[in-house]
Amino acid sequence: MADPPSQPTQQAARIAQQDEADLVARAVAGDRPAFGVLVERYAGVARRVARAVLGNPEDADDAAQDAMLSALVKLEQYDARRPFGPWLLRIVANAATDRRRRRSVRRVEPLDVGLTAGGPRPDTATERRALNERLRQALAELPERRRMAVVLFDVEGYSHGEIATVLGIPEGTVRSEVFHARRRLRVLLADWKEEG
Amino acid sequence: MKDPLPFDHRPDLVLGRALREALDPGDAQAFTARVMALAGQVRLPSWDAVLARWARTGVAAALVVALAAGYFVGRTTAASPAAARPTVSDVLIAPPAHPGEVEVVLASVIGNN
Repeated sequence: MADPPSQPTQQAARIAQQDEADLVARAVAGDRPAFGVLVERYAGVARRVARAVLGNPEDADDAAQDAMLSALVKLEQYDARRPFGPWLLRIVANAATDRRRRRSVRRVEPLDVGLTAGGPRPDTATERRALNERLRQALAELPERRRMAVVLFDVEGYSHGEIATVLGIPEGTVRSEVFHARRRLRVLLADWKEEG
Repeated sequence: MKDPLPFDHRPDLVLGRALREALDPGDAQAFTARVMALAGQVRLPSWDAVLARWARTGVAAALVVALAAGYFVGRTTAASPAAARPTVSDVLIAPPAHPGEVEVVLASVIGNN
């Protein structure tokens, strides 16, 4: 009988965690390339989470960058017994939320009814872009916490427990947020498929 | 697409892929380079700097405590009954409480002679 699939995954997670703890220790000691490895590893997820909160890609990159630098300064506070990702993403989530609060004039543009309500399907050339735009706008309609929860769960593959750490909310609330976000977004995707 | 089960614990791969593409941030190398350029300017708090900061705070706190203690001790001393105790000169200058006692002593001294 084959090993349960969770065992290699858990082992890999442990190795990754140990590896990251080493990288953090080296970064704290002033080893910038070690910090660079962490930045490379988490740049994608940090930018996606920030974009889910802020909408605007430039703002999202600024927030992700601020978070990375803030994490560098706070690295000594990181508890190496815990996974690094949720610790970093909590800083990213806070940075994005702060930036969103500070942002005064620039707001998410009003929803295009044609896009969100399943209007005529665009030509193939712009098909993917249109779907992406629809999804981003649908995400923007969701409460901020719900957006982060669904992105962290369905896009980044974090567990409910890890997302609870990132967002500072109970695990049950994370489940609920993911469920409600999915319900909204799946309707949109289903409409899109039916049109195709 | 199936209706989702409430609180499904598995990631939705289709939705995840679509969202990942929608939120794709683009050039990862440029972002990393930008962060690392700024990281070079960040000064990490070294242990001696942290200690120095705490030492400064500690010295300031000790000064405040010493001043406060001195103030309270001084106030207590000034208000205590010991401060009202007469000095030697007060006793010598002050008129005797029982004038007769001195005369008795003198008389006994003279009588012995």
